[in-house]
Amino acid sequence: MNTSQTTARGIPGMAPIGRRQFLGATGAGSLAAVLASCTGGGQSSEEETEGGGDGTLQWWDQFRPLTQMLEQDLFDPYMQDNPGITIERRELAAADLGQALQVARRSNQLPDVHSLAGLDAAPAALVSEGWFQPISDFADFASSPVADQIFDGLHRFNGDVYAVPLFSSRQHATIPWYNAELLEQAGVDPDDEPVTWDDLRAVARQVRDNTDAHGIFLPAQNPNYLNAIVVQLAMTAGAPGEIDWRTGEYVQDSDPFVQAFEFLLSLQQDELIHPSSPAMIPRDATARWAAGEGAIYPWGPWFIGDLASESPDVVERGLGCWSIPRPDSEMRSVRSGPAGGVFWVSTDSAQPEAAAELLLRMTQEDFQAALATAMDQPPALLDAVETADVHPAYRDMVARFAEDVRIAPAPEIGHPEAWRVLAEMRPVEPGIGTILQSALSGEDLDVAAELRTYREAMSAERERALEVVQGEGAEVDQDAWVFGNWDPESDYAIEDYDAR
Amino acid sequence: MAALETSRELSAGSARPAKVGVWRRLRKDWWIYLFLLPTLVGYGAYTVYPLVASWWFAFLDWPGFADSGTFIGIENFQRLAADGLFWNAFGNSFLFLILAVPLRVGLALLLAILLNRKRTPFKGLLRTLFFLPVVTTGAIIGVVFTLLLDAGGPISVAMVGIGLLDSPANFVASTDTSLLAGVAVWVWKWLGITMIYWLAALQTIPQEVHEAAMIDGAKPWQEFTRITMPLLIPFLVIITLIDTVGALNVFDLMYTMTGGGPSFSSEVIEIFIFRTAFGATVPQLGYASAAAVLFGVLTMGIAIAQAVGLRWARRATGAMT
Repeated sequence: MNTSQTTARGIPGMAPIGRRQFLGATGAGSLAAVLASCTGGGQSSEEETEGGGDGTLQWWDQFRPLTQMLEQDLFDPYMQDNPGITIERRELAAADLGQALQVARRSNQLPDVHSLAGLDAAPAALVSEGWFQPISDFADFASSPVADQIFDGLHRFNGDVYAVPLFSSRQHATIPWYNAELLEQAGVDPDDEPVTWDDLRAVARQVRDNTDAHGIFLPAQNPNYLNAIVVQLAMTAGAPGEIDWRTGEYVQDSDPFVQAFEFLLSLQQDELIHPSSPAMIPRDATARWAAGEGAIYPWGPWFIGDLASESPDVVERGLGCWSIPRPDSEMRSVRSGPAGGVFWVSTDSAQPEAAAELLLRMTQEDFQAALATAMDQPPALLDAVETADVHPAYRDMVARFAEDVRIAPAPEIGHPEAWRVLAEMRPVEPGIGTILQSALSGEDLDVAAELRTYREAMSAERERALEVVQGEGAEVDQDAWVFGNWDPESDYAIEDYDAR
Repeated sequence: MAALETSRELSAGSARPAKVGVWRRLRKDWWIYLFLLPTLVGYGAYTVYPLVASWWFAFLDWPGFADSGTFIGIENFQRLAADGLFWNAFGNSFLFLILAVPLRVGLALLLAILLNRKRTPFKGLLRTLFFLPVVTTGAIIGVVFTLLLDAGGPISVAMVGIGLLDSPANFVASTDTSLLAGVAVWVWKWLGITMIYWLAALQTIPQEVHEAAMIDGAKPWQEFTRITMPLLIPFLVIITLIDTVGALNVFDLMYTMTGGGPSFSSEVIEIFIFRTAFGATVPQLGYASAAAVLFGVLTMGIAIAQAVGLRWARRATGAMT
């Protein structure tokens, strides 16, 4: 730019700004800023559904280890039997699926069949909002091998079956998976199982001291992961769970929860946890465990199936699992609620018969055996694992679940309107996972006080939700959470609901 | 007489052109509006409609799995006012802004001055290198820096090696440093584009002004503070405005680096909105929209403040010259 273009005020190319220009610029800036508040959303005018109309059945889920098995053992045989149907499956990360389903619902683009990852807090709420259509009109689920696992309030609503359990609820997500090669290098005999928390600490210390690897992974970027670990360890220390089913009260601030916190924090203080754990999500930890950076990783039953599909050489290298450790030699079970429905058929699906037929096939013994072979969550028919072609560690894990896990009651089965309270309840933060995350990141916390605050907030939130749904006419109160005949060391069976 | 009237018309015409009606303009220049139509439709459908819808959603109690929400007035805003996590996220976004924008603007100016000097070698190469992170996806940078900044990463190891740290630190997973780590990476990522703005601004200052200053005996620092900076102030305001808007849009980077944690210590307002709308077990679309609207009101306030600053700066520089 030459000097002739310089304005009288000496600012090159910049004209003085007038009141109108100022107001105009302010208005434009404000408009741009207001646009920053835009969150999108809204109803689509598109009325036609994506899937189903042309003989195509859209299928969404998050089960990566099942990819090959679903194709080989379900979709391909079904399409051979029914040449007019094409099944298109889309696998999404569990964290993304809930969001994708919400968006798809509002734009009338839900797939014909989908799982509920991220939206599974209260499937009854989705049923009441008209997301799904019943499948019992199209297939005989009453005679299926999983008929005794189909419950009102979880799978059956107003007498119609909407979904079926495909996985066993006899499972937890705190299985100490170990790298056999690293244990050998550390001089640890995997058969000499660390039964107590101190035993596990000793093994981790041996690994740290005798190898280049770290003892334990505890991926702490995901509070949900930490929440599950704390609750399950607290149960081995004597907690009934987050709720004491005998009284219906929340008990997250009881001694077993504090003990579980102290155990996990002591592992970090002893420098036994992989130092990068705080920045990891479970998938990162899986990858780094596979890379041999650490020996022990507490995670769910799907861990081995994930590895088998992504890095089979790691499975060949040698791995195994132990039972969830407990604070002392006294054996206490871990409790898990009844298994919910896995796949649901969209209300807009034009292929409900095909979808129902596929879901019915998934409940049969041969498919359940194939499901076991994929080594994801254990199948609903647990006996199928005995004869299935699975890794010995997976079979061992399922046998341990039979010893360690008991089925807990579920309010939504015991009371027909309890789901309305669950759907009304808002998340309470900081929760157990977030409190542990803070403590692991070095924050100086009074854990017992934090847990007490959380327990009180959860109780208050349930009371608020109860008041809201009672105001809407629901006849439900806190008694729906009380199961006086519950025995922590026994399965809570369907007849127990009637007997309470 | 006729000549007089003609003269009056001419004189009136030269003072203010006769107004042309909207319909007449539309008829006359219809093809301009035809070409504008796709943009207007797209802008309306993808910007204006979602914007208006967001404001409406803010007044609804709308669980994400329901088809529609129930009107509840300002209840969402009342809940937000009492929600500590909302104000935490609000504060984090504001702190991010306060720290990151001056750093980015200042460092980029420094770089631009260095790269604008005739004596600086490899100027083209250096400009390219500083610009490279700008064209790299924010989410990828977030993932890479999570590995670089964790306790086993090279940055922590190097800092321990040269004695800056006693033991390895997990910068992205500490409540004390997670937000600062985000600020540092964001500034690094976007430094190149701000540097380009400054380079363009520096090149608008006539060489003659610098030469005159030299002839008058001005030292380099005097030349910078008395000549260069005053002439750059209008650009400073514009560049700061652009960078401020950028600092309020850091979702991809922060989500992949820290996920808002640990313990919400790096949860900026965008992550709060996303978590509320999609991450919760019972998604709350109305509540998330209310948070977005409040966030928008804040940025509107900032935009107005900046516009006032712009006007003041131009007047001030005008008065100086």
